[in-house]
Amino acid sequence: MCLTICDRGFYPLLRSFPAQKTSIWVGFTTRLAPHPSPLPLPVHASVNLRLLLLLLISSVLSGCGAQLVNFPFDPGGRSLNSSFSDLQPRVSSRYIVFVSDRSGSQDLYLYDTTVHRLVDLPGLNAIDMIVSSPGLSENGRLIVFAGSREGRSSIYLYDRETRQLRNLTENLKAEVRNPTITADGDTIAFESSANGQWDILLYNRDGQPLKTLTNPH
Amino acid sequence: MCHRSHGRVRWLNVTVCISLLGVLTVACGQEELPTTASAEFDSRHNDGQPALSGDGHFLAFVSNRDGNRGILLYDRKQKQMVTLPRLNRQNAIAEAPSLSYTGRYIVYITSDNVRPEIELYDRALQQPEVLTAHYRGWFRNPSISPDGRYVAFETGVRGQWDIEVMDRGPNVESDVPDNLRSRLLSSP
Repeated sequence: MCLTICDRGFYPLLRSFPAQKTSIWVGFTTRLAPHPSPLPLPVHASVNLRLLLLLLISSVLSGCGAQLVNFPFDPGGRSLNSSFSDLQPRVSSRYIVFVSDRSGSQDLYLYDTTVHRLVDLPGLNAIDMIVSSPGLSENGRLIVFAGSREGRSSIYLYDRETRQLRNLTENLKAEVRNPTITADGDTIAFESSANGQWDILLYNRDGQPLKTLTNPH
Repeated sequence: MCHRSHGRVRWLNVTVCISLLGVLTVACGQEELPTTASAEFDSRHNDGQPALSGDGHFLAFVSNRDGNRGILLYDRKQKQMVTLPRLNRQNAIAEAPSLSYTGRYIVYITSDNVRPEIELYDRALQQPEVLTAHYRGWFRNPSISPDGRYVAFETGVRGQWDIEVMDRGPNVESDVPDNLRSRLLSSP
């Protein structure tokens, strides 16, 4: 459990460290900013006290704005974090897609923050493929990632509803990496080395290159 | 023309037909190959780490085209770069951008202090804000949800890379318009 003091007052930040240790940590900022709403000078001492109390409660309730969300830790690898490296998270309002080597190879996982468990991705992870840089559409149906198989990298798109995995860059004779996808899943951008340097390409979800980008200079 | 009944001529014609078909298939195959020259964000510089806004309107990426390595934002509809005042600073490296739905919020890693911090840039205010000042450990690869409320990132606080999610709170102005929220959840 931690007590954190931050910009807009202070609030108790419930935070446990499930990895064998529980630490007590008190953080300070050098600047304690004033409350956003300016208050008139109090006439009464009791009013002053009440105002102070109100101010304190409101700042406790409103918090610092940002807090860490506590997800269960599972050494068995059924949660968001495991005893292995958990990398490259991409977040939508409900899902987190990430890469982990908890099963012995670098695979892709999808975590549902509503029901607090991993979602099955049948047919996505393969023994002969190293997965990296995942991305997902807002509703978590489409997942894009870079996959390396037999030394060749490709951008793959996985549809969770049809359970189909598609290689979007099969015809592209270049190294590819770092894909990203829009919230509606219509557009995918990634890096390609086709011209001897890293450039950004845009494809639609059917694997067709988009020709909307022009040289900005 | 493949239907003549003279033995030798017929075979010749069949061969010609097959080879013609072959040429046609190869031609079609080449047409399907992506024409990278027109589709790429072509510059003489290295561009990397692309991040699309949720609606696809903006593309953020890292480039060294202005001498400094920093984050650039490209408006795909207006076909022009968008300025980001106070985001890229002297003696600092900003990288690994991630955009919210309309591209209002940008989270990224910036290294102008001893420790790289995760910053959130609000394009409405044109102001960056450090998100990780009060947290221990090292950070990498931040990602913001389309509505702008959650920021996920890698943290090294437990001695290995783990995933942490920051909730910016229910009072954050959502970057997903109300009328689009349900449509986004139902569309792929």
